[in-house]
Amino acid sequence: MRVPPWTVPLLVLLCAALGLAGARFLVRPSVVLDLAQAPSDADLRTTVLVVGGLFCVDTAERAAGQLDGLPGVVRFTAYASRNRAEVLYDPAVATAETIRKAIEGPVYDKETGEFLFGLYRVVEADGVKYSAP
Amino acid sequence: MRRLRTAFQVLVVAAVAVTGVRHALGWSMTTIEKYCPFGGLETAYALVTRQKFTCAAGELNLALFLALILLTLLARKAFCGWVCPLGAVLEWWGRLGRRWLRFSSFDGWWRPSDRTRKVLQTVLRSVVLAAVLAATWATGELVFRGYDPYYILFSAHGHDVMFWSYFILGGLLALGLAMPMAWCKYLCPLGAALWPASKPGLLRLRRSPDHCTECGACDDACPQSLPVSSVMEVRSGECTLCFECTAACPVAGALELRAPGGKP
Ligand code: SF4
Ligand code: SF4
Repeated sequence: MRVPPWTVPLLVLLCAALGLAGARFLVRPSVVLDLAQAPSDADLRTTVLVVGGLFCVDTAERAAGQLDGLPGVVRFTAYASRNRAEVLYDPAVATAETIRKAIEGPVYDKETGEFLFGLYRVVEADGVKYSAP
Repeated sequence: MRRLRTAFQVLVVAAVAVTGVRHALGWSMTTIEKYCPFGGLETAYALVTRQKFTCAAGELNLALFLALILLTLLARKAFCGWVCPLGAVLEWWGRLGRRWLRFSSFDGWWRPSDRTRKVLQTVLRSVVLAAVLAATWATGELVFRGYDPYYILFSAHGHDVMFWSYFILGGLLALGLAMPMAWCKYLCPLGAALWPASKPGLLRLRRSPDHCTECGACDDACPQSLPVSSVMEVRSGECTLCFECTAACPVAGALELRAPGGKP
């Protein structure tokens, strides 16, 4: 059967649109870390952060390390390809602001024993933009 | 069709280059890896075994890879001829090489037999693909970055690009002058990964022996160096449906795009 040549660019566009639209059905976290046990009666909240510097599994795990030991932080979930982190916390103990500051704080580098500054920058928290990436 | 294809290529190359520069300047968090379908294949193993993505790859890479498989099943390697920004740059570069060095075809200085070309394509590209996937799946990192000509060319000195990376890129460009599109033909791991879907691809070009004068212009115009004039149908898994052959053909109706079924 004869097919007009413009079928090819049309198929290219349709498949590109399909790929772009279909991505939302394949979302999986890059890192999920349970950092603490939540009290059974706690009314937990989630703060959603877009973090400059969080772009792969390694940088996501490092960012999770920033929250390790921070009182009230229960779980850290990162979506590295979207530079996105979701932090589940107990609002009776922690706030979204303390979480943001902890992520942006100096990062201890185990290999060199030095502190690294400015590794992470929260550019958006719960829909509020903070700074340019 | 040629103009439309060039427009597609220019748009994609410009979009990727701007994305790379914006990221390098710190203006945007979007990297050029975000829309790379090959990342989808690289992350597939981690996704199956650990239900997590590898390194910086994500759902967009995977979705685009799956969409690419569908496109390839329908329209062969149309991605390579219409979308791939590296393929576009290497094609333009190859054309320059052809003009400067006065090559009559996209084979360049070496015209292998079809059989030799197929063997080389299969072996070399499969080795590259196996090495990249094995390294990525074993380490959970996109370890290919520093060697990946796409990443080196468009990331504006991105993460993991070392000074020696530019020697790799320079070497491939030099090779691409002497043997136009050598990367695409003999080394590209995505090209190897797509072949099983491309070979049975639905759309194909058919040559009409009633019209064809066997002038061979189509063979010389084909960026993939396919022997168009000696087959009835281009069933090669390498055809990118770029329509360079139809544009070069002096006889109307000698080459037509076909799908199975309907009138012969
Ligand atoms: S056979 Fe024609 S459409 Fe296929 S790659 Fe060669 S020139 Fe392009
Ligand atoms: S360019 Fe056209 S006429 Fe010439 S060999 Fe190819 S199909 Fe036949």
